[in-house]
Amino acid sequence: MNVDLAQLKDIRKSFNGVEVLHGVDLTLAPGEVLALLGENGAGKSTLVKILAGDIPPTSGSITIADTELARLDVYQARQLGVRMIFQELNDAPSLSVAENIFLGQWPGSKGFVAWGDMREKAREILKRLEVDIDVDAQAGSLRVGERQILEIARALTQNAKILVLDEPTAALSNAEVERLFIVMDQLKKQGVGMIYITHRLDEVSRVADRVQVLRDGNSVLTVDAKGAQREVLVTAMLGHEALKNARPAAVTTSGNGLEIKNFSSGDDFNDVSMTINAGEVVCLFGKIGSGSSEVLESIYGLRPVTGGSVHIFGKEFKPKSPQESSSSGIGYLPADRQRLGSFASRSVAENLAVASWKAMSRLGFVDAGNEVKAFSRWSDALKISARRGPTQEIATLSGGNQQKVLLGRWFEAKVQVLLLVEPTRGVDVGARRDIYDIIRRQAKESGMAVLVATSDYEEVVLLADRALVMSRGKIVSEFTGNSVDANSLISAAS
Amino acid sequence: MSKTTEVEKDKKRSIPASAPLMAFFVGLFIYFSVASEYFFDIENFRNIAVALAVTGIVCIPGTLLMIAGQVDLSVGSAAAVSGMIMANMVNKHSIAVGLAVALVFGLTLGIINGFLVTVVGVNSLITTLGGLATLYGIALLIGNGQTVMMRNFEWLGTSQPWGVPLPVLIFTVIAIMGAVSLRKSTYGRSLYAIGSNPNAARVVGIRSNRLLFITFVLSSVGAALAGAVLSSQLSAADPNAARGLELEVITAIVLGGASLAGGRGSMFGTILGLCTIGILNNGLILLDVPTFWQRVAQGLMLIIAVSFDSLRQKLNNQRS
Repeated sequence: MNVDLAQLKDIRKSFNGVEVLHGVDLTLAPGEVLALLGENGAGKSTLVKILAGDIPPTSGSITIADTELARLDVYQARQLGVRMIFQELNDAPSLSVAENIFLGQWPGSKGFVAWGDMREKAREILKRLEVDIDVDAQAGSLRVGERQILEIARALTQNAKILVLDEPTAALSNAEVERLFIVMDQLKKQGVGMIYITHRLDEVSRVADRVQVLRDGNSVLTVDAKGAQREVLVTAMLGHEALKNARPAAVTTSGNGLEIKNFSSGDDFNDVSMTINAGEVVCLFGKIGSGSSEVLESIYGLRPVTGGSVHIFGKEFKPKSPQESSSSGIGYLPADRQRLGSFASRSVAENLAVASWKAMSRLGFVDAGNEVKAFSRWSDALKISARRGPTQEIATLSGGNQQKVLLGRWFEAKVQVLLLVEPTRGVDVGARRDIYDIIRRQAKESGMAVLVATSDYEEVVLLADRALVMSRGKIVSEFTGNSVDANSLISAAS
Repeated sequence: MSKTTEVEKDKKRSIPASAPLMAFFVGLFIYFSVASEYFFDIENFRNIAVALAVTGIVCIPGTLLMIAGQVDLSVGSAAAVSGMIMANMVNKHSIAVGLAVALVFGLTLGIINGFLVTVVGVNSLITTLGGLATLYGIALLIGNGQTVMMRNFEWLGTSQPWGVPLPVLIFTVIAIMGAVSLRKSTYGRSLYAIGSNPNAARVVGIRSNRLLFITFVLSSVGAALAGAVLSSQLSAADPNAARGLELEVITAIVLGGASLAGGRGSMFGTILGLCTIGILNNGLILLDVPTFWQRVAQGLMLIIAVSFDSLRQKLNNQRS
């Protein structure tokens, strides 16, 4: 196979007079998986958006299926078989699973949808993906991981020749990730070329044929995936050598911070007990559906509690509502940042200060200067890069920077207990390290108890003082110190 | 390039939300000043201000609601009912009783609207659309469909302490209170947060329902006050006098840059929007344009303003 599916040559792109891509080449052969690595802001998204016709390049040429195009629009790109799977969901939550899989291209004739046909086909596709999802369920009632699979299923129905996957596994559990890889292997056999954007280096050798690394708008490394060394890739991404992927230094903590006993919520989890010391970071590791994130939701008052008790620094706390929890010194960082975390149209300073307005105000009036001060206090400590300063809208920041702002929100509020759900989902490697460092340092300095629910074992290894593993709504094992490692976590959780 | 110059450059480049409206306002102002010899005149400006005061009193809480992502369509009919109550009470009892009953009516209506939206969970557009129809009917019922004349109650609408018409004074006080609380108070900031992302507002611990409830009450009380002022200006309560008030209010707010989806907007923008409508209406009258054209112009202006705002946002998004 000599003919490339897609060829981008000397692509340059400027926004606002600032060049963000400095002449990048990219080729993709049929049946090939190209892993595209790079930190946020490296230009990965811009590059694939150019391939998908979302934005025109400033200069350079695009060749898809032997046709050289100076300009490519979204419709042309679709015609040529380019499909994108984004990290953020693009579905219609109020429609059924089957309707979502065929969104906009429902089978049928004369303007009528052939429901039986559609459901049958949807079932077939989901079976091919080896997932057990009811085709009649409302998409909005599914978990994020399941909805992500629907997006992939949709692309499969649309005859994709070039599939761009922008961090599709960020929200998936390990089993779902493996399932996706099996599907990708099948697609490879059918000659589909895939560009796979990820932050998880361990996935690269499993799924990719070649790896291309972007840094600051330049292509800095293109190598065969099989022999690619992790250190080499990280160095290429960061431009310098990374820290060893090792456990954080052990810290002794004492004094009960957060204590939950026989905690239960319906079918989601039951009889969960744990004690987190002041200043300690505990990770609750479990796959999506294991109940780990649900425990945190219940502590914060977002999910009904059917039994058990919660004590915060020795005082009994009855979860009632988020309002109650936040005013009782509990902070909560949701997994779904866009929907539940950030105020997209508001400034970074406001987003950071929102949980501290009461403390910042006198007689109900907030001094905007205090907000700006709070922001500058944390923007250095958290390494938040907001080019336009405290008034920049949060929606214009990268995922990692947004997450740092939302973390700063609870640090500024001086919470005693911090609950974090998937704190680095969709965050690039560099920012991820920052976030782990910040969480650990802040926990030690302020003495708050931190409970993290995550389905990412790497995160547990890098972040936790202690790890609890959940499966089917129960805590099944506990690891401390150097016994926290990827292998034991994964085997305990499955 | 140093960091500070980069920041300054970015600041300069982003288009302020109210810039197009400001340009339009200034253009319109200059045009009318040239086209009509009566326009640029202190007495005429006073007329414009008086004509705007009633709408303005409703616009202030309306802006608070719109920023929180809610809308109150019942304000026009509420003002009409308030006027009818005034007229009946003033004629039978006293001005004080009339004002008190009208404001209690506003309070009650606000509580009902707030209850339906925050507790029962009905969409505010639907709730207050129902209110619009119901209250208009009630206004007609109270006066049997007739205009009710009033005696000795002109001061609220027509007196001029220190040379400033009282309605304008009332509006100014309310506008300042509104602007300050929107910009500076936890209440105002919370409204922005609620409008920007209601789910996140709940998660972060903002008492959204309570704040929305309060804002609906403010909106209805504002409408009741506006109705009293209007009836005083006319020395009569006319069930049709405040018809279409809700549209004028929404036009002013949206012209001023507030987003119907919530999370954006400012008091300054609303007041600028209000003034634009005011000089447009006034200028067209001075130029002897048939009054029906006022409606056409206002409607077109709303559409253009919204389109302009969408374009501006698209531009800003593309650059970031």
